[in-house]
Amino acid sequence: MSTRKRRGDGGVAYLDVQGTLRERTVDALRDRTLRGNLDSATTSWGESRDAMRSDYGLDEMRERAREIRRSNIRNLPALLSEMQAKVREAGGTVVRAVDGAEACRYITGLAQARGVKVVAKSKSMATEEIKLNEALEDARIEVVETDLGEWILQLASEHPSHIIAPAVHLNREQVAALFREEAGTDDVPDDREGLVAHARVRLREKFAEAGIGVSGVNLGVASTGTVCVLENEGNARLVTSQPRIHVAVMGMERVVADWDEAAHILQVLPMAAIGQDAANYVNLITGPRRDGEADGPEEFHLVIIDGGRGALRGTEFEEALSCIRCGACLYSCPMWRSVGGQAYGSPYSGPIGAVITPLLEGPSSPASRDLPFMSSLCGACGEACPVGIPLQDLLVRARARSSSPATRKSGMAFRAWSRLWRRPSTYRAWMAGWRLMLRARGKDGWATDLPGPGAGWTQVRDMPTRWPPRR
Amino acid sequence: MSTASSGDPLVDLLMASLTRRKATGQVVSGEHAGREAARWMADAGVARAVLASDPVVDAIGLPDALRREGIDVIMWPTGLGKREAMGLEGPIDVCGVTVPALAVAERGTVVLEASEGHGRGLDVTSRHHVALLPTDRIVRTLGEALALTFADGRPAPSAVSLVSGPSRSSDIEKISTLGAHGALTEHVVIIR
Repeated sequence: MSTRKRRGDGGVAYLDVQGTLRERTVDALRDRTLRGNLDSATTSWGESRDAMRSDYGLDEMRERAREIRRSNIRNLPALLSEMQAKVREAGGTVVRAVDGAEACRYITGLAQARGVKVVAKSKSMATEEIKLNEALEDARIEVVETDLGEWILQLASEHPSHIIAPAVHLNREQVAALFREEAGTDDVPDDREGLVAHARVRLREKFAEAGIGVSGVNLGVASTGTVCVLENEGNARLVTSQPRIHVAVMGMERVVADWDEAAHILQVLPMAAIGQDAANYVNLITGPRRDGEADGPEEFHLVIIDGGRGALRGTEFEEALSCIRCGACLYSCPMWRSVGGQAYGSPYSGPIGAVITPLLEGPSSPASRDLPFMSSLCGACGEACPVGIPLQDLLVRARARSSSPATRKSGMAFRAWSRLWRRPSTYRAWMAGWRLMLRARGKDGWATDLPGPGAGWTQVRDMPTRWPPRR
Repeated sequence: MSTASSGDPLVDLLMASLTRRKATGQVVSGEHAGREAARWMADAGVARAVLASDPVVDAIGLPDALRREGIDVIMWPTGLGKREAMGLEGPIDVCGVTVPALAVAERGTVVLEASEGHGRGLDVTSRHHVALLPTDRIVRTLGEALALTFADGRPAPSAVSLVSGPSRSSDIEKISTLGAHGALTEHVVIIR
């Protein structure tokens, strides 16, 4: 159902994206439907979140959230050990995967060993990152996304456009068309309620068939070995309670120390993400079902992924690990608001995606090295971040680290310029030459068509040939 | 015997939050709770109720009250096949009846703990959800509820669900639509 991609090379960005970042951006800007959908989505998010800021003092909650997450990352190895021990105590299995390929091998192997034919998933960016769906499909295992937005995208063979609201760029008519195609009948209603009811029944059939449920993890709580999964639809609870096996996939940075910390983050997350004081369902899962319990999975597997995260600790990018994947920086970013998430070509889009995708992939990956330049550096992301990540600073540092032919060329030009201007003699020679050139080219005190690096300037404005300029 | 204002600020706060979360609630005395809950389900068109095996259910005489309304009563664990348990077979208008361990007044959340008598999917597999909540289980904040649920020395339950209103999705055009995967309605019977 979804497009094939290569994997196993540590790539985070999608490998089937077409064109350059600039081409994708231009295409997105020309897409009027997309613009309309993005406009309505970002406007309603902004209004709801402003209400949270005044009702609950979301801005004041940020300081504590930032402290909690920074201390979590500082103590990460100890917290992960504790988490691992507690999950095992509760009867669960814990696997630490160095990269996505290892995680995919484990989950695929588990499905094959248990004879599982259908896997039901709830929304998880981590599984997008490791390309789990493709790995399972390669092993001839059917994968069904059960979050309504993700299912719609799976039917459309598209990638999610937003961490929280994946199908934000498709409207009702487009969704109805996809459902008709999947069901093989025209008997699918057009209205929103009808579409939701249709999906409810179709996906319940899948839940009844699935042998494994795969969920993401919003937060791991080390003190009890509990994974927290937030959602609004109820599909994550079905994923974690109906199939015989539950596999939870967690990025290694998603762990907090105890329930005092967890309570704070669990409150901040929905406020920042959807402008609500609560997610509809928060599922707190500690190991598999206990003796005597009549529902819930018989096996619980927690797969903890490093994928390049561990190497960021102690670097100038460490704070990127504080991210709780709420999506607030996306909605607040003028760049993302204009082009949506698809143009980024990575499961992680927007400012945080522009920072972490190249960090996880390496500075010279052609798929992601230009992403840090998808920003005007206006700082709206840093202001919106509920855990106080200085995203605009990280974007600047990520640019400095980015390595492509274009960045190397401009770096060389700037270094040569800096050498010329640093010595008085070469500086004076440069300026004398520049004045001569301006006079030769200028007319009535103004130059209107300069050559070389000056061309960009004179395309849109004139340059005075002397100072102060002639009126 | 529901009342508009209970005189208890925590109960009033919970009622207001439930309304905001698109759930409903009523405050009743213990002697009327069974009858009121059964009547609410009958009005909602419920054909079958799946009840948590919990002392509160019996204390308010709910099974008998439901039978008097002509509603089929099944106690947890149900022994139903998977497809019927998910509403793909059998009656569609099934109501899961839960007994929350706690409720959070500030944000309209009921805290459901999985146990032998209380399935973790009880509310989401059904079309309707009724929660039977004794008033002394209401706390103000999420922090208080989590501190009690995961207190030191108390074994963590295998599954805890914080439920704040009926199932919804905003995935089509960002407009909130009820009844995505879980219950389409949620009704909290607050028992004094």
